Amino acid sequence: MTEKLLSVSELSVANAARPGDAPILDHVSFDVAPGEALAIIGRSGAGKSVLGRSLMGWTEAPLTVTGGSVSLGGEEVLEAAPDALRRIRGTGIGYVGADPTRVFDPTLPVGRQIAEKYRAVRPGVSMKEALERVHELFNLVRIPEARHRMEELPSKYSGGMIQRAAIVDAMIGETKLVIADNVTQPLDVTVAAQIIRLFQDLRERLGTAFIFITSSVPTIKDFADRIVVMDKGRIVESGPTRQLLEAPQTEASGQLIAQSPKIWGTTAPESLSASDELNRPAALSITAVRRTYKVPRKDKLFGSVFVQAVRGADFDVYPGESLAIVGESGCGKSTLMRLLTWLEEPDDGAVHFHGKNVGTFTKKERFDLRAQLQLVLQDPYGSIPAHWTIGRTISESLRLHSDLGGKARRARVEATMAEVGLDPALYDKLPSGLSAGQRQRINVARAIVLEPTVLLLDETFSALDPMEQTPLIELFRTLQRERAITCIFISHDLALVRRVASRVAVMYLGRIVEIGSNENVFGRPLHPYTRALLSAAPTIEASPYDPGECLVDGEPPSPIRLPKGCAFAERCPVSRPECLESDPMLRNTLARGRIACHFPLARGMLESAETKEEISRVG
Amino acid sequence: MIATFSFLARRLSQGALIVFLAALIVFTLLRVGPGDPARMLAGGLSDQASVDALSEKMGLNDPFLVQFGKYVGGIVLHGDFGQSYIRSESGLSVGGGHGDDQTRSDRADVLSLLGSRLPLSLGLALAGLGLALLVSAPIGIYAGLRAGKWQESLSIMGSSLLVSMPSFWIAGLLVLLISIKLKWLPAVGYEGPRYLILPAIVLAIEMAPIFIRTWSSAISSMTRRDFVRVAPVRGLGQRQIFSRHVLRGAAVPFINTLGVMLTSLIGSLLVIEFVFDFPGLGKLTVEAVLQRDFPLVQAIAIIISAFFVLVNIAVDFVSGLFDPRLDY
Amino acid sequence: MTSDISTAPLAAPKPALPSTRELAMGKRIWLATRSSPWFLLGAGLFGLLLLMALVSVFVFQVDPTKMNFVDKFTPPIFSEGANPAFPLGTDQLGRDMLSRALVGLQITFLIGLAATALSFVIGSAVGLYAGFVGGKIDQLLMRVVDIQMSIPPIILAITILGLARATPALVIAVLVLATWPNYARLTRAGALAERGQEYVRAARVLGASDIRIILLMVAPVALPPMAFAAVFDLARMMIFECVLDFLGIGLQPPTPTLGVIIADGRKYLINAWWIAVLPGVFLMLLLLSLNMMGTALERARNAVFEGAK
Repeated sequence: MTEKLLSVSELSVANAARPGDAPILDHVSFDVAPGEALAIIGRSGAGKSVLGRSLMGWTEAPLTVTGGSVSLGGEEVLEAAPDALRRIRGTGIGYVGADPTRVFDPTLPVGRQIAEKYRAVRPGVSMKEALERVHELFNLVRIPEARHRMEELPSKYSGGMIQRAAIVDAMIGETKLVIADNVTQPLDVTVAAQIIRLFQDLRERLGTAFIFITSSVPTIKDFADRIVVMDKGRIVESGPTRQLLEAPQTEASGQLIAQSPKIWGTTAPESLSASDELNRPAALSITAVRRTYKVPRKDKLFGSVFVQAVRGADFDVYPGESLAIVGESGCGKSTLMRLLTWLEEPDDGAVHFHGKNVGTFTKKERFDLRAQLQLVLQDPYGSIPAHWTIGRTISESLRLHSDLGGKARRARVEATMAEVGLDPALYDKLPSGLSAGQRQRINVARAIVLEPTVLLLDETFSALDPMEQTPLIELFRTLQRERAITCIFISHDLALVRRVASRVAVMYLGRIVEIGSNENVFGRPLHPYTRALLSAAPTIEASPYDPGECLVDGEPPSPIRLPKGCAFAERCPVSRPECLESDPMLRNTLARGRIACHFPLARGMLESAETKEEISRVG
Repeated sequence: MIATFSFLARRLSQGALIVFLAALIVFTLLRVGPGDPARMLAGGLSDQASVDALSEKMGLNDPFLVQFGKYVGGIVLHGDFGQSYIRSESGLSVGGGHGDDQTRSDRADVLSLLGSRLPLSLGLALAGLGLALLVSAPIGIYAGLRAGKWQESLSIMGSSLLVSMPSFWIAGLLVLLISIKLKWLPAVGYEGPRYLILPAIVLAIEMAPIFIRTWSSAISSMTRRDFVRVAPVRGLGQRQIFSRHVLRGAAVPFINTLGVMLTSLIGSLLVIEFVFDFPGLGKLTVEAVLQRDFPLVQAIAIIISAFFVLVNIAVDFVSGLFDPRLDY
Repeated sequence: MTSDISTAPLAAPKPALPSTRELAMGKRIWLATRSSPWFLLGAGLFGLLLLMALVSVFVFQVDPTKMNFVDKFTPPIFSEGANPAFPLGTDQLGRDMLSRALVGLQITFLIGLAATALSFVIGSAVGLYAGFVGGKIDQLLMRVVDIQMSIPPIILAITILGLARATPALVIAVLVLATWPNYARLTRAGALAERGQEYVRAARVLGASDIRIILLMVAPVALPPMAFAAVFDLARMMIFECVLDFLGIGLQPPTPTLGVIIADGRKYLINAWWIAVLPGVFLMLLLLSLNMMGTALERARNAVFEGAK
C-alpha cells in the first residue's frame, strides 16, 4: 500500500456554536489506496457522517474544520478554490447518502438531472452525449428499462432504484472514490443486499475505491478490505476486515461486533405452543381474507386501477402464543394490520375473534370487544399525543371502557405504569423529554391497562436502539407469561423475530407464503423467498445460505398487475415453467407448518405427495 | 396529452357547476331581499295597476325557478344577461319616475354596458399588476436569498407596513400630496392615460407586499431544501442551482399567489375606482348596487365567479407544469 | 441516523425523530414566536393602542359625537392655529378627531374580532370534520367551500348589504361568510395530516369515536398553527369592514367608524386634510401591529413545520 488515492491527516472538526464541547472529529488520519474498499464503522454519534462529508469539503455552519488536511491524489480538498472544489467533487470524489430521494429535485426527471450534473463537471459535453452516458450507466447499475426510467420523476422510483440512480450520479464524472454513507439503512434487506453486490461489481469493473460508512457491521463484512472503527470523533482501531472482526483490540469495536444481530447463533424462545396448544381453538383466525383498494387513474379520463393489498391471507393465532409476521415493504403488512384491528373490513373472507366473525358484530359488541384486542405502535413520538399528560394518555383507555371513578382510575393507571416500569410520579407530566424506550412503555401501558387477551405489536421495537430494546423485550416476556396474552408481532427485523416469536409467518405480495415454528422457518425454510430473506439478512455470523445462490434479483411486481402464476416466480431462483402458469395455494407441511410453493426446497415435506397434475389444478 | 385533456374536462365541468350554483345563490339573494324591481322601475308615483302590469311583463310573477331557468337559458343560449333596470342605451342613469313609458328596448344591454367599461378597468388592472410584479420580484427574491439577514428583515418590515395601509386611505393621501399639493398628476375621473397613474400606483401598493412576501418565503424555503443544499456537493454551480432549481421551485407558490391576487383584484378595483371616480367596472358595480340594478349586479357576480373559476384552473394547470407531481 | 446496530432492516423503518417532536406543535410555535423581535414590537404597539383607547373612554370619558361649532376645523397640534385640547384637531362639526379615531378603531376592531372568531370556529369545525372523516362527506363539504369561495367576497358583501340596512351583526355575518372557507381549507389540511398519525390509530383501536378524537386529540394539535391566519385575518377583516363603510354600504354615519370618518373627511381633503388622514394613521398602526405579530407567528410555524418534516 504505497500508492495513496486519498490521504487524511490530523483532520479535526468542531461545532463553532458550542465551543466548550469535545470536537466532533479529533485528529483523524487514514489513507485510502486506489480501488480499495474501506469501511468506517461506529455507533451513531461517533462522527462518521461528519467525517464522510468533510472529505468532500462539505462542512456546514456551525461545524468548522479546525485543523488537518484531506488530499486527493496530491490535491488539497479543504483549501480548494470554488472552481477546483467543483472539479474535485464532480470528477474526484462522489458522495451517496442514506436518503437519495433528497438528492434530486422532485420536479425534474432523474436522468436529466444526472445529465445536467455531468455537463456541469465535464464542460463541453452536449446534452445528447450526457444523456447517452447516463443511459450507459443506468444499464451498468441494472436499472431496468433505463431509457424510460431516465425520464421519470424521483417520486416514481422505489428506494432501491433511486439508490442506484444516486450511485450513477456519484460516479458519472469517472470519480476515483465514492463515499457511501449509510446507503443501505433505509432499504429492505433483499434490496440492500443487491446494492452491496452492485458495489462489489462496480469496484471490480471500474476499479473505483469506496469508503463505506455504516453502523451495521454485518453489512460490510463481506465487502470491505479494511475497517476503521470510530468512537467519539476518534479513530480507535483499524485493520484488515477479517482480522479486526475476529479479534477486536478495543472495547468500542468489541461492543459493535457483540451487538450485531445474530439469527442462527441464538436460540428461539421456548415455544409456548406445544402441539396440544395448536389444537386449541384459535384466538384470532384469518380465513381467505382479501382487501383491494380502488385508485383512480391519472392518465385516463375515467377508470381506476385496483391495488390488491391483501390477496387471500390465511392463518390462525392460538391463545398464548407469539406469532410474528415478517415481510418487506409493500407486502401488505399494514393493510393486514388494519384488518386485524377491525379498522377495515375485508372485501372477502373473514376475521374471527375467539370464534366469532368480526363482520357480524354489532357496533356495541365491537366496541366492547375492542378492550380485549389492543395495539402497540411503532413510532414512539407520533403515537403519543404531545399535549396530553402521560396519565391522561394511559387513562383514555379506561375512560372509554370502564366506569371507574377518577380516583380508582388513577390508581389503576399508576399500578399499570409501575408494572411496565414507568415511575408513577410521571402521571401528571407531559411526555416531552422522555426517551424512546420510556415512550414505548407508555404505549404498552395504554394497551395493557384494559387487560386485553390479544396484543398486536406493529414494529414496536424498531425505533429503539439495542440498549432500549432488550429490557422492553424482557418486559413483554414477563407480561405474556403472567397474563397469558396472545401476541402478534409485525416486523421487518428477522433477528428480532428470531428472539421473540414462537411461530413465524412470511408475507409476500399480500399473501402468507410460509408459516411455521421459529425453529423450522429459520432452520429449514421451505419457501425460496424465505430462504432469500434469510440469506440477505445482515447478521454477524456466516449465513448458512449463500447469497450468490439464494438471493433474488429485481423487485416485487406491482400489486396492480399481478402475474397469472406464482407472484414470486419471476424472481425465484428455482422457478420452473409451471410456476408461471399456476398460482400455488397454502398447503400443510409435515412439520405443522404451511407453505405456498409448487416446489418446496426440501422435497417430501408436504403432508401428501402430490403429482404435477394436482398442482396445476390447485392454481 | 390525455392527462391534460382529462384535467381540463374535469375541472371545467366542475367549474361550470360551481358558477351555476353561485349564480343561483346570488339570484336567490336578490329575489328574497326587500324591494320590488317593478315598483322601482315604474317609479314611486306609478299606480299599482301599472306596476302589476310591468311586473307581469318582466316575468316577475313566474315561479322562482322558472325565472331562474329563463335567466340562465338566456345566458347560455344567447349570451343574454338581460337589460339594466336603470341605465339607458346611452349609459346614463335613467331611473324610474316617468310612468309607464319605459320599455325594455330603451334600456342598456347588460353585456354591452359591461363591455364598454371593461377596457379601462383592464388597463388599470394590468398597469397596477405589472408595476407590482416589476417591483416585488427583485426585492422579494433578493430578500429570500438573504434569509435571516437584515435585508430580509427590511423587506418584511416594508411589506408589513405597506400591507397595513388600506388602499382607500393611501389613495386619499396620494391625492392630497401628488394632486393637491404638488399638482403633478390628475386624480379624479378619466380623460387620458395620465389618469391611470395614481390609481395604478395605489393598486400596486396593495399587491406588491404580498408578492414580495411570497417570493422571499418561497426562495428562502427552496434554499433550505436538501437537494439544493446538496447540489454544490454534486458539483453544480451556484448560478445553475439558482436558475434551474431554486427559481423553478419558487414559481409554484408565486403562481398560486398570482392567482389569489388576480381574484382579489376585483375588490381592489372596486374600491380604487370608487375613490378616484374612475369610470371602470368597479365603479359601475358600486353604482349598480347602490341603485339596486339587479340584472347588472347579477351579471357582474356571475362573470366574476366564472373568472374566479378559470383563474383557479389556470393556476393549477400552470403549477402542474412546474411541478409535475401536483395532482391536477 | 438511527441506531441500527442490532436491527436488520427488512423494510424501511421510520426514523425516530428525537427532541424535535417532543413538544406539542402549538407550544413550540409559541416558544419560537415569543422570542421574535417582530412579535415583541407588534405586541408592544398593539398594547399601546389598546391602552390609549381604554384611557380615552374610561379615564377622560371623551364624547366622539359632541359637536362644538366654535372649534370646527381646528388643525392638529404642531400646525398653525392648533388647540392643545384637540391634539388631532376637529372636524367640520367641531368634533374631537382623537376621540373619534379611537372610538372608530374600537368599533372596527371589535367587529373584526367577532368576525374572525366566528369564521375560525365555523371554518375550522367544517375543515376538521371534513379532513378527518374524508370520503364523500369531505368531498361534499369541500365543494360547498369551493362554491362559497367562487363568489367574490366584495360581491357577496355588496349584494347582501345593498339589500338590507347594515347593522353591526349583518356586517359581521358578511365578513364571516366571506372568510370561513379559508379556515375550512387550512384546518382540513391539518386534520388530513393528523388523521394518518399513529396516535389516531391507537385511539381508533381503543374504540374512540371520530368526534371524540377530533375534539380531544386532533383539534388541540391542528388548530394552534392556524393562529397566524387568524391574526392576519383580523387585520384583513378590519380593512374590509372599513372599505364597506367607506363605500357607503356598511355602517352608516353618525356611527364614528373609521371608514365613515375617512369617507367623510375626503370631502374636506383640500382645506382640512387631517380629518381623512389622521384616523387612517391609527388604523394603519393597529394593522401594522397585527401584521407584525402575524408574521412572527407564521414564520415560527413554518420553521417548526419544516423542522418536523
